[in-house]
Amino acid sequence: MTEQRRDILDMLAEGKITAAEAEQLIAALERTQPPVAASAEARPKGAAKYLRVQVDTNDGGEPGRVNVRVPLQLLRAGVRLAALIPPQALSQANTELSKSGIPFDLTQLKPEQLEELIEHLDEVTVEVDQPDNKVRVFCE
Amino acid sequence: MIPQLVTVRVERPGRAPIRAWVPVLPVALALSPLLIVAALAALIACVVFRVDVVRAFVAGWRLVCALPGTRVDVHEGRSAVLVSIR
Repeated sequence: MTEQRRDILDMLAEGKITAAEAEQLIAALERTQPPVAASAEARPKGAAKYLRVQVDTNDGGEPGRVNVRVPLQLLRAGVRLAALIPPQALSQANTELSKSGIPFDLTQLKPEQLEELIEHLDEVTVEVDQPDNKVRVFCE
Repeated sequence: MIPQLVTVRVERPGRAPIRAWVPVLPVALALSPLLIVAALAALIACVVFRVDVVRAFVAGWRLVCALPGTRVDVHEGRSAVLVSIR
């Protein structure tokens, strides 16, 4: 139940408005609320199967489009495979990242945390809109 | 389930488009001698870097089995590349 609907019912219970008025208000409220879209909110949690990355560009008049669909299962499998990376390789990667100006400690990144991140990916939608470029990252 | 079919399509302006449907299992069987060599190299790498061979094999197999459904579609002007794994 939305907050507005509860307010209307409260006003009806307090006798501030009649039942007919409450009905009119609720009908008006339903008209103003947008229909439930086929978005992450409408989808049951954990039902997403794919991560989609869509990029539309129009640099220099040449339209470009990138459309990538990656199964979330592939990301999970990748995380499990990444968990097998030996510590010396991780420290070497850390050194190279630091040299490139990215002070990121890969050894602090635990596979469980990455799996948790993937579990919650289906709630994430990233949209970047620019006059010539548009980027959209979402799960479906 | 392992991938069954890989579809590759390349379109370039002024040239005929290239379309390829690659059945994974027959190709893997044809390349099995190379795959055995690659598996041996992976085994040696696991031993050298002290990685659990069984865990590495399971993780690699899961990665391969998770590939179906992957699709990469890139268009740039009149050029286009599509790779789809089913």
